[in-house]
Amino acid sequence: MRTYITHRLAVAVLTLVGMSVVIFLLLRLAPGNIVDILFSTGGYVSESDKAAIMKELGIDRPLWVQYVDWLRDILTGNLGKSYRYDLPAWQVIKPLIPVTVELAILSTIIAVLLGVPTGVISAVRQDTTLDYLLRIVSLAGLSMPSFWLGMVIILALVAWLGWIPPVILVSPTENFKIHAVQFLLPALAVGYRSSALIMRITRSSVLEVLREDYIRTAWAKGQKGRVVVWRHALRNAILPVVTVIGIEFAFLIGGLVVTETVFNLPGVARFLVQAILWRDYPIVQNLVMFIAIVVILSNLFVDMLYSWLDPRVRYGD
Amino acid sequence: MSRLRVAASLIVVGLVILATGAPAVSQAPKYGGVLNSMQREDLPQGFSIHETGTISTVWPSMPCFNNLVLFDPLKKLESMDTIVPELAEKWSWQDNYRNLVFFLRKNVKWHDGQPFTSKDVKDTFDMVREAKDAPAKLRINPRKDWFVNIDNIEAPDPHTVIFHLKRPQPSLLLMLASGYSPVYPAHVPAAEFRTRCVGTGPFKLKEWRRGEYVEYVKNPDYFIKGRPYLEGIRYVVIVERGTKYAALQAGRLDIAFPGESTKTVVEQVKAAQPKMVVSVVGQNVNDNLLLNVTKPPFNDAKLRRAISIAIDRRAYVRAVHQGGAVIGASMAPKPFGVWGLLDKDLTALPGYGKPADEKAKAKKLLAEAGFGPSNPLRVEMATRAIPIYVDFASFVINELKQVGVEATLKQVETAQWHPLATRKEYQMGANLTGIGADDPDANFYENYACGSPRNYTGYCDEQVMKMIDQQSQELDSKKRLEIVARIQKQLEEDAARPMMGWRLDYFAQWPHVKNLVPHHNLYNYGRMQEVWLDK
Repeated sequence: MRTYITHRLAVAVLTLVGMSVVIFLLLRLAPGNIVDILFSTGGYVSESDKAAIMKELGIDRPLWVQYVDWLRDILTGNLGKSYRYDLPAWQVIKPLIPVTVELAILSTIIAVLLGVPTGVISAVRQDTTLDYLLRIVSLAGLSMPSFWLGMVIILALVAWLGWIPPVILVSPTENFKIHAVQFLLPALAVGYRSSALIMRITRSSVLEVLREDYIRTAWAKGQKGRVVVWRHALRNAILPVVTVIGIEFAFLIGGLVVTETVFNLPGVARFLVQAILWRDYPIVQNLVMFIAIVVILSNLFVDMLYSWLDPRVRYGD
Repeated sequence: MSRLRVAASLIVVGLVILATGAPAVSQAPKYGGVLNSMQREDLPQGFSIHETGTISTVWPSMPCFNNLVLFDPLKKLESMDTIVPELAEKWSWQDNYRNLVFFLRKNVKWHDGQPFTSKDVKDTFDMVREAKDAPAKLRINPRKDWFVNIDNIEAPDPHTVIFHLKRPQPSLLLMLASGYSPVYPAHVPAAEFRTRCVGTGPFKLKEWRRGEYVEYVKNPDYFIKGRPYLEGIRYVVIVERGTKYAALQAGRLDIAFPGESTKTVVEQVKAAQPKMVVSVVGQNVNDNLLLNVTKPPFNDAKLRRAISIAIDRRAYVRAVHQGGAVIGASMAPKPFGVWGLLDKDLTALPGYGKPADEKAKAKKLLAEAGFGPSNPLRVEMATRAIPIYVDFASFVINELKQVGVEATLKQVETAQWHPLATRKEYQMGANLTGIGADDPDANFYENYACGSPRNYTGYCDEQVMKMIDQQSQELDSKKRLEIVARIQKQLEEDAARPMMGWRLDYFAQWPHVKNLVPHHNLYNYGRMQEVWLDK
C-alpha cells in the first residue's frame, strides 16, 4: 500500500510538471499580454512605455527563464505577484478557494443524495412507470446545462418572489442562514446535473449486480429486500459510482465558471476566467496548478477508497 | 380691503414661486443608509483614475477624490456654465485666458490626515502632463494631450495655484471638471492608487475585495459641512448581465451602472418594476468607423467617402441599438451636448440623406475609383470580439454589400485591439469612443489631431488642425461654436472617422435614491456627495 501511494505520488509530481509546462506555454501562446490589456483600458499603446512595464513585470525575459523562476518560486512557497492587482498572488487566491471547495462539496453531496437512491430504485423497479419517470428526470438533468438551470432559478425567483439571494457573499459566522441559501441554490443547480450522471451509473451497475448468483442466493435464503438491495447489491455495485463521484468532484473545482458567475459567487473558476482575460499569468498558472492538484488528490483518494469498499481490491507493490 | 390684500399677497407669492421654479413641496434630505451600486467588472487599475480610460475605474473611484472644479452634480447637461467649485474655492482667468488662477480651500485634509495644499495640485498635473521636473511618472497616461497647452504650473503659496498656458484655452477648465481629473496627494506614490485610495473626497475607502466589491464609508472630515448624506457606498461587481438586472429588480442594488443599461433591458426591468426610475441621457460615447488613411485603399479620399455615405445611420440606430442612440457628427448632438450640429446641417452632410440616393452616390464614387460588379472593392473589417462591436461591424458589412463592397469580418481579442489600431495594422475597423468632457478640445486633440496616439485612422489635415487650434483659443463662444461646426462638417466630408451614432444610456434607479442625476456624459457624475436615500 505504501509503495503504491509513493508510486502514485511520484506519477502525480510528473503530471504536475507536465501540466506546468502546458499551462505556461498555452498562456503565452494566447495573443497579447497584461500590458496590452492595461493599455487597452487607456485606449492607446505607447511602445516605449509598454517595454518599460514588461521589463518591470519581468515578462520581457526569455520564456525558459520565466518558467524556471516560476518553478523555483513554487518550490519556495512564493506564488509571485498578481500583475493586475499588484498584490501577492496568494493573497488574491486564498479567499477564492473555500468558496469553490464549499460549493463543490455541497453540490457533490446533493448529487450523491439524489443520484444513488434514485439509481437503486430505478434498477430495482426496472421497466416500471417509476423507472421511466426517474430516467426521464435524469435525462433532463443531463440535457440541461447547470448554468442555464442556474439562470432560470435566478429569473424565476425574481419574477415570482421579487427576491434573489444577496449578491455579496455573507460568511457563515455573520449569518449562517443567508450563507446557506447563497450556496444551496447553485449547489442544487450543479448537483442536479451531477446526480443525473450518478443515477444512471448507479442504475446500470446495480442492474448488473442484481443478476449475479450471490444475489439470487440471498433472495433464495429469504433475506429482506432492503438488505439484499442496499447491503449486498449496492455495496458490490458502488465502485464505478465512486469513480464517477470522484471525477465529478474534481471537475467541479475548475468547472463551476458559469455557475459561480450566474450566482455571483467569488470562487476559483470565475476568477480564473477573469485572470485569463487579463493575462494575469501568476494567478492563472497557480490556480490551474491548484485545480490539477485537487484532481490528482481526489483521484488518489478514490483509489484508496476502493480497498475500503471492497476488501478484494489489492494494490500491487 | 384686507381680503383683497390677502388675495394679492397670495398671487404675488404664487408668481414668485413660478418665476423661481421652486417646487411646491420640497423634501428635506435624509442622512444615513448605504447605497448599493452595480459595478460591471472589477476595477481595472484600482483607483488610479489618471492611468485609465474606462468608466469601470472612474465610477467606483470618484467618491474617494475631488477635483479642483466639477460639473454640477445636479445638472444633466455639462457646460462651462455648470462648473462648480470643489477643491478650488474660486478661480479666475487672467491675462486674456493665458493664466488660470485657482484659490484653494483651506482646512482640507486627505483621508490620512495630511493637509491638502497647492503642492498636491501642482504635482498631480505636472505628472499628468509629463513636465520635465514632474515628481513622478504615470505607468499609462491616456490624457496627457488634454494638458499639452500648459506651460508651467506655479504654486506661489499653499492655497493658490496658477496654470500658465502657452496660449489662451478656455476649455482647460472643462477638462479639469471631468471625473478623469482628480487631484492626487503629493505624499502618496501614484502607483499606490492601483491598490488603495487616499483622497479628500466625501467617502473613504473601507475595503476592496477583489472581484467582489468596493466599500466606502462617509468621510466625517469632509470639507463641505453636512455632506455627504450617505453613510456608505458599496459597488458590487456582477459580471453576468441577467444576474445584475435581477439584483436591481429584486432591490439588492439601488442603481444601475452608467452606460450599461440598453433600451431593451430597461424596458424589461421597468415592466417588472414599474416604480423603477429610468433617465434617458447621452453617454458621450460614439460608434465610429475607422478607415485607415495611411494605407490603401482608404488613403483615397473618394473611397472613404463612398464607404461613409453607403451606410444608413438611421437604420443603424434602429437595427443595432433598437433606437437607443441618436445620429450626430463628431460632437455629441443636441440636446445631449452643447456643440453638436443642428439637424439641418447634419442632414445636409454626406451619408445623412435618403438612403437610396446616398447608396447610388456611393456606387458612382466607387465606379470612379475603378470598382464595380466585375471588380468589387474587397476589404477587411477588424473589430473587438465583443457582441456590441461585432453587431456594429456586421451591420456595416451588410450595408457595404449593397453597394458592391465585399467586406470580411476579422474579430480580434481585446488585448490585440488597441495595439492593432495604434499601429494602424487594419483597413477598416468598428470602434467605440468615449469622451471625458463634452468639449471640442478634449475630442479633437485626442481623436483627430496629427500624431495623437488615439488618432487611430492617421487622418491629418493641415487646414483642420488650424481650425482646431483656432477654436481652442477663441474666447467668443458664438464664434467658437461656428468654427466647431465647420470642423465637424469637414471631418464628415473627409470621412475622417465616420460617425454611426451616439449612444444613449437608460440609467435605472429605485425611487428612494434621491439627488443622483445622470449626466449626458458617463464619466462625470460619480461623486455621490449629494445623493441621499429616502428610506
